[in-house]
Amino acid sequence: MALFSAFQTTFLLALLSLKTYQSEVLSEPLSLAPESLEVSIDSARQCLHLQWSVHNLAYHQELKMVFQIEISRIKTSNVIWVENYSTTVKRNQVLRWSWESKLPLECAKHSVRMRGAVDDAQVPELRFWSNWTSWEEVDVQSSLGHDPLFVFPKDKLVEEGSNVTICYVSRSHQNNISCYLEGVRMHGEQLDPNVCVFHLKNVPFVRETGTNIYCKADQGDLIKGIVLFVSKVFEEPKDFSCETRDLKTLNCTWAPGSDAGLLTQLSQSYTLFESFSGKKTLCKHKSWCNWQVSPDSQEMYNFTLTAENYLRKRSVHLLFNLTHRVHPMAPFNVFVKNVSATNATMTWKVHSIGNYSTLLCQIELYGEGKVIQKQNVSVKVNGKHLMKKLEPSTEYAAQVRCANANHFWKWSEWTRRNFTTAEAAPSEAPDVWRNMKSVQGHCVVTLFWKPLSKLQANGKILFYNVVLENLDRPSTLKLLSIPAPANGTELTLDQCSYQIHVTANNSVGTSPASVIAVSGDPGNKEVEEERVKGTEDGFCLSWKPQPGGVTGYVVEWCERPGDPLCDLQWKNLGPNTTSTVVSSDAFRPGVRYNFRIYGISTERIPYLLEKKTGYSQELVPSDNPQVLMSNLTSYSFTLSWKDYAAESQPGFVQGYSLYLKSKAARCLPGSEKAVLSDDSICCKYKIDNPKQKTFVVENLQPASFYEFFLTPYTSVGEGPQGAFTKVTTPDEYSHILIRIILPMIFSILLIMILCYLKSQWMKEKCYPDIPDPYKSSVLSLIKSKENPRLTIMNVKDCIPDAIEVINKQEGTRKSLTETEPTKPTYLYLLPTEKSHSGPGPCICFENFTYNQAASDSVSCGHVPVTPKAQPSQLGLLTSSENGPKALGKNYVNSLGEIPAGETNLNYVSQLASPMCGDKSSLPTNPPEPALCSEYKTQMAIPMGLASPPSITLLDEGEHDH
Amino acid sequence: MRAQLMRRTLLSLVLGLLFLSTPAMGSCLDNYQELLGQLQKQADFMQHTSMLLDPYISIQGLDKDGLKKHCRERPGVFPSKDALQQLSRQEFLQILNTTLGHVLHRLRTLQKDIPKAQDLEKLNIAKLNIRGFKNNIHCMAQLLPGSLEKTEPTPTGPGASPSPTPISDAFQRRLEGCRFLHGYHRFMHSVGQVFREWGQSPSRSRRHSPRRGLRKGKHRTHLSSRNKRLMPRGWLPR
Repeated sequence: MALFSAFQTTFLLALLSLKTYQSEVLSEPLSLAPESLEVSIDSARQCLHLQWSVHNLAYHQELKMVFQIEISRIKTSNVIWVENYSTTVKRNQVLRWSWESKLPLECAKHSVRMRGAVDDAQVPELRFWSNWTSWEEVDVQSSLGHDPLFVFPKDKLVEEGSNVTICYVSRSHQNNISCYLEGVRMHGEQLDPNVCVFHLKNVPFVRETGTNIYCKADQGDLIKGIVLFVSKVFEEPKDFSCETRDLKTLNCTWAPGSDAGLLTQLSQSYTLFESFSGKKTLCKHKSWCNWQVSPDSQEMYNFTLTAENYLRKRSVHLLFNLTHRVHPMAPFNVFVKNVSATNATMTWKVHSIGNYSTLLCQIELYGEGKVIQKQNVSVKVNGKHLMKKLEPSTEYAAQVRCANANHFWKWSEWTRRNFTTAEAAPSEAPDVWRNMKSVQGHCVVTLFWKPLSKLQANGKILFYNVVLENLDRPSTLKLLSIPAPANGTELTLDQCSYQIHVTANNSVGTSPASVIAVSGDPGNKEVEEERVKGTEDGFCLSWKPQPGGVTGYVVEWCERPGDPLCDLQWKNLGPNTTSTVVSSDAFRPGVRYNFRIYGISTERIPYLLEKKTGYSQELVPSDNPQVLMSNLTSYSFTLSWKDYAAESQPGFVQGYSLYLKSKAARCLPGSEKAVLSDDSICCKYKIDNPKQKTFVVENLQPASFYEFFLTPYTSVGEGPQGAFTKVTTPDEYSHILIRIILPMIFSILLIMILCYLKSQWMKEKCYPDIPDPYKSSVLSLIKSKENPRLTIMNVKDCIPDAIEVINKQEGTRKSLTETEPTKPTYLYLLPTEKSHSGPGPCICFENFTYNQAASDSVSCGHVPVTPKAQPSQLGLLTSSENGPKALGKNYVNSLGEIPAGETNLNYVSQLASPMCGDKSSLPTNPPEPALCSEYKTQMAIPMGLASPPSITLLDEGEHDH
Repeated sequence: MRAQLMRRTLLSLVLGLLFLSTPAMGSCLDNYQELLGQLQKQADFMQHTSMLLDPYISIQGLDKDGLKKHCRERPGVFPSKDALQQLSRQEFLQILNTTLGHVLHRLRTLQKDIPKAQDLEKLNIAKLNIRGFKNNIHCMAQLLPGSLEKTEPTPTGPGASPSPTPISDAFQRRLEGCRFLHGYHRFMHSVGQVFREWGQSPSRSRRHSPRRGLRKGKHRTHLSSRNKRLMPRGWLPR
C-alpha cells in the first residue's frame, strides 16, 4: 500500500513534471491573450471602440484567433453583450472592434472585458480560452459636468421607422422630471435613481428641422432636450441602365431616390463597380456616370451601383452585353436630292458601331404634319431611299433614324430635312358658275370660279384664261386672261348665246377647261318658292328629276343674303342626283337663305328648276309690328299692322298673337286665357294667317278700359313682349250726344261768327248808342230860347190829360214798409179838383231823350247789371273819355232793371229837376204839378248826333238818371 | 467760445474723414423730425414677432405649450426699456447700433437652421430692415453731434460683431435662438417707445447735452453701472 502510494506520488510528480515541461514548451500559446485593451467612445454613434493586441506571437506568425468580448452595463455582473470576434492575428498587430450601444453611452456606466483563443487548424491543440482581461470601465457620466439635467443622445440621426432609446440624467433628486416628444409626454423606465430611459419605436418623420424631445423639471425653468433628426428612408436608385453610343464609353443613368427630407442633407455617394474587370468609380453626379469601355473587347459587363448615405447603403445590379446596348448616334449628312414633281431621293450617313455591324434605319415622310410614308432600310455606312408618289408643288419633311439591326436597343435621334416637290400642270378644271342679269339690252354675265385645291393646282396658279365662244358665230372667239388670285370676272355680252371656257394656269401648264354656256334668256323664270327647314347639319334640298337632257344640277345660294355682295356659293351635282345637303359654317341662325336649283342642259346652259328658302335655325320674331287702332266704338275696335315686314324676321311668321287685358273675368269668344311672363292674366287671340294684317276686336263693353298687345310668332315662339296699348271704349250714348252737341256747337259758332261779322248791324238793332242829352241839339235849343224863330213845344201849348207814372219796384231798394203791390200812379197834370193838392212849386218836365233801348228791351233781351257795378261806374265817370260810354251803359242798365211786363210806357219822362233825383221815390213822392210846370217837347235824337257830355255838367245824382 | 469752435472744427474734420472712409450708403435725411418718424415707424415694424420669431418657432417645432414659456428673452442679452430710457440720446444710438450689429450677426447664424426658401426670404428681409435701420441711426447720429464716431453705418459684408458662444446641442441652440429673437422684438419695442419719447419731448435740447448725467451726477454713476450690467455679455459701453 505504501509502495502503491509512493508509486502514485511518483507518477503524479512525473506527470506534473511532464505537464510543467509541456507548459514550458508551449508557454507561448498559453500567453496568446488580448493585451493592452483600450476602450474609447463615440458618443455621436453611441459606439464603443475597442483596440488591443496580442504580443506573444512569433515573427511572421499568423494565427486565426477568436476573441470573446463581454460588455456589462451599470455593474460588471450585468453582462448585456457577449460576442466572439474571429480574426487573423499577427504579432503586435492592433486589433479593433466596435460595438454600437442601443442605449446612449452617457446613460449608464459600461464595462468591457475580453479573452482570446487560437482558432487555427494548424494548432488545434491550442483551442482554449485565455484568461479574461480585467474590466475596462467606460463612465461618460462622470465627465458630463455639473448641469442638473442632461438628455441623450444629442442630435442623433436615424432613419424613419427606427427604434431609438433616449435617457435623461438628473443630478437633482428633488425635482420630478417629465419628458416629452413633440409636446407629448413619454413614459420611461428608471435605470437608476438618476437615469430614466425611454424606448421610442418606429419613430416618424416630423419635420425637416428634426423632432424635439425635451425633459423639464416640474418646478422651475429647468429644461433640456435633444433634437432627433429623423430622415426619410433612403431609397435605392431606380431605372439603372447603361448604354453606349460609340462602343467607347458607357453611359449609366439612374433615378435617385427621394432625399432624406432633412435640413442637413445627408450626403449621398454613388459608386459604380464592374465585377468582371474589378474596376470601381465614384460617380460625380447624382443620376449618371460615365464608364470607359475597356479596349480589350470585353463584351459582358456586370455593374453594381451603390448608393450610400450616413445611415444606409443601397445597391442595384446590371448585367449586359455591350453590343446589346448600342444606342446609335443620329444619322448625318442627310440630303434630299433629285426632287421632281412626284419623286425625291434621300441620302444619309451613319456612325459605324463596329466593323461588321449593320444598322436598321427608318425613314418617315411627312406631308401636312402627318406621316404619309414609312420605310425601313438596312445600312452599313451610307443610306439612300427613293420617295415616290409625291404630290407636285408640295412641302414635305423627311426624317431618318437608325438602330442596331442585330440587337435592337434604341433608335437614334431623328435627323430631319424639308423639301418641296416641283410644280405640275393643274389637274382639274376650275369649278365655274355664273350670274346673269340684263342691263340695257345687254346680258351681263358675272363669272365665278372656285380656286383649285392644292392637290388640283399642282403649283401656284398664275392666271385664269376665259375664252368666249359665240355660238351664233362659231368663228368668233374672245380670250381674256385674268391674273390670279381673282375668282371671277364680269362680262357684258350681247343677246347671243355664248359658250365660256375657263382654265387655270400655273408656271408649268394649263388645267382642263371648264365649260358653261349662256344664252339670251337669263333663265330666271318665275318659279314658286318653297320653304325648306334647315338643321344643324345644313339644308336638305331635293328636287324633281328632270325627264332627260340634264348633264347635272347646280344649287346656288348666298351666304350673306343681306349683303349686296351676297357671297354667291354654288354646288355642282351629278345628273342622277335629286337631293343634296347644303351646309356651311357661314350659316347663321335667324338668317333666311334662298336656294336656287338649276338644271344644266346638254348644251351646258343652266335653267332654273326650283327655289327654296329657309332658315338654318328659326328664331323668335325680333320685333313686333306697329299696330294702328281705328274704328273705335263702344263694342269694338280695329287693329291693323300693314307695314309690318314679316319677311325680315328671323323665322317664318306663322301668325300673330293678340293679348287683350280687361277687367272682365271671362275672355271674349275667340280668345282664350293666357298667362304672361309677369304672371298677369289676359285673353289671347290667335291669328293663324300670317298674311292677315288687320283684326277687329269685338264684343267689347261700352265705356270699358282695355289694353292690347300684338306680337307675331314663328315656329320657335312669339316675339318680344312689349308695352300694352290702352284703349277705352266710348259710352253707348256718347255718339248720340256727339251727333247733337257737335251740330249745336257748330251752329253757335256760326251764329257767333255771323254776329261778329254783323256786329254793327246788331248794335244798331239791339243796343244803339244812347244819345247824350247834354249834347243833344235840344240843349242848344234850350239855350237859345231867346231865339224866337225856334218853335218849342211848351207844356202850356199842349194839353196832356194825364201822365202815367209807373211805380217801379226794385227788390233791392224797396223798403220793408213798401210791401204793397205796385199800383200805377197817375199824375194828373191838368189842374183838377180831385188831384189838385194845392199850390206847389213849378214842376218842369223835360224829357230830352227817347230811350230806344227801353223800347226794344223785349226783343233784345234783358241784361242784368249787378249793383256792384255802380261804384266802378263812378270811377269811370271821373274820366272824360269813358264818361259817355259809362253813362250810356248805365243808363240802359237802369232801364233794363225795369221788368218788361211792367213797362207799359214807352216814353219815360226824365226829371230835370234835382228834386226828382230818386227814381224809387217816384211812386211815393210824385212830382206834383204846379202851375208853372211846363212840359218840354220830347225829341228823338239820332245816335250820331249824341255828343259826349261834359263832365262838368254831371254830378252823381244826375248820372243815376 | 473759441475752444468750442475749435472742437467743432475738429469734429467736422473727423466726420469728413469718416464719410470718406465709409462705403456708399445713400443720402441722409437732414430733417430731424422726419428722420425720427422714420425710426419710430421702422422700430414699430421690426417689433412684430411675425417678422422673425413666429416663423422661427414654427420652423423649429417650438410651438408646443411646454416649450413656449421657455422661449423668453434671457435677461441681460438686450438692454431693458428702463435702461434705454436712462441713456442720453447719443448713448442710446450707440447702444442701439451695436446691439443691432450683434443681431445681424446672430441672424446669420440662425439662417443655417431655416430650411425653406420662403422663410429664408423673411429672414433676409429682416436683415435688410436692420441694415436700413442702422443707416438711419447713423443719419440720426449725424444730427446729434458728438456721437457719430460711435455709430458707423451698416457694413455691407459680415460685421465684426462678437460671435456668441457656440452651442453644439441643437435643442439648446434653437431654444437660445428663440429666446434671442424674443428679446430682439422686445428690444425693438422699447426702442420704438424711446424714439416716441424723443418726439414727445418739447425740445431737442437733450441732444445738445452730451452727458445728461453731468447734470444728474449721482444718477449718472448709477446708470453707468446699470448699463454695464445690461450690455450683452462681453460688451461694455464704450
